[in-house]
Amino acid sequence: MTTPAMMYVHDWRAWQPGRRDTSQPRLSVAEKPAGGHVPAMLRRRLTGIGRALCDMLAELDVDADCPLLYASRHGDGERTLEMLDSLAEEAPLSPARFGLSVHNAIPGVYSIGRGNRRTQQAIAASGDEFAALLVEARGYLAQGEPAVIVAFAEQAIPARFTAHFTTPVDTAAVALRVSLTPAQDAWALTPRPLTSDDTAESRPQPSDLIDWLCGIRDELHCHRPRQAWSLVRAE
Amino acid sequence: MTSELEQELKHLIIDTLELEDVTPEDIDPDEPLFVEGLGLDSIDALELGLALQKRYGIKLEADSDETRHHFRNLRTLAALVEERRTA
Repeated sequence: MTTPAMMYVHDWRAWQPGRRDTSQPRLSVAEKPAGGHVPAMLRRRLTGIGRALCDMLAELDVDADCPLLYASRHGDGERTLEMLDSLAEEAPLSPARFGLSVHNAIPGVYSIGRGNRRTQQAIAASGDEFAALLVEARGYLAQGEPAVIVAFAEQAIPARFTAHFTTPVDTAAVALRVSLTPAQDAWALTPRPLTSDDTAESRPQPSDLIDWLCGIRDELHCHRPRQAWSLVRAE
Repeated sequence: MTSELEQELKHLIIDTLELEDVTPEDIDPDEPLFVEGLGLDSIDALELGLALQKRYGIKLEADSDETRHHFRNLRTLAALVEERRTA
């Protein structure tokens, strides 16, 4: 008996500057994404990855009517470090930079620019972002949403932070439109039980997901380490 | 006529607020800077206040009628800098 699909990927967009497989129409490799779907006065505050994501989301959610689940482990590390440097020097923080340093900054700008007033979530999950996105997406779909957009974005770790974080991260962003409804050209995402081959390495980054979407790898494994909760009532 | 100081302020506004599609000629000295006219927002007001402090040593109250008056257009802003600059 085959396991029923958990959900279906109906369409996707991705961005990874400098990547080679440029024949894929859903993938942008632009060094400087245009951000053409965002009004200029909003666009000016977005970095490249924000511009890329806004364009991808506008294409995937043409009517601007889908809930958006966004995840990033590190967010905008460069701006965060710049602000910490300013604080260390007791220099005033740039209000615009500060405003755009929050984890939901890119979804926020997208929602203002496109007038999408649906639910948005911004997730960071210590490396388990894609697994967390799938869990959240499943929840919204189970509640009756016809489709949700799942977006996952990372930027390369700033050089001065690599001593504290040794896993290399590729700058890349990917967005999927998922639903519970099968379709001929939709790809099924299927759960399976954990096996002894599953390791901490099965925690895909956006660039791994793009490899899978572009057909460079047939399978993409994704699991969360087993988690246990103990609820104890304080005396 | 645009004065030298007004020209300098135009560049300060464009650079500080990252107005990538705006040229100095696009900023009419008599048009409003905020909401209408150039279309700047409240975050820009804070950012511009910080830039005036850094460049000219001018400190402003964030939410006073006086500040609103100074920030009305490029001419009022130039008048403020002319009067209060320490740097």
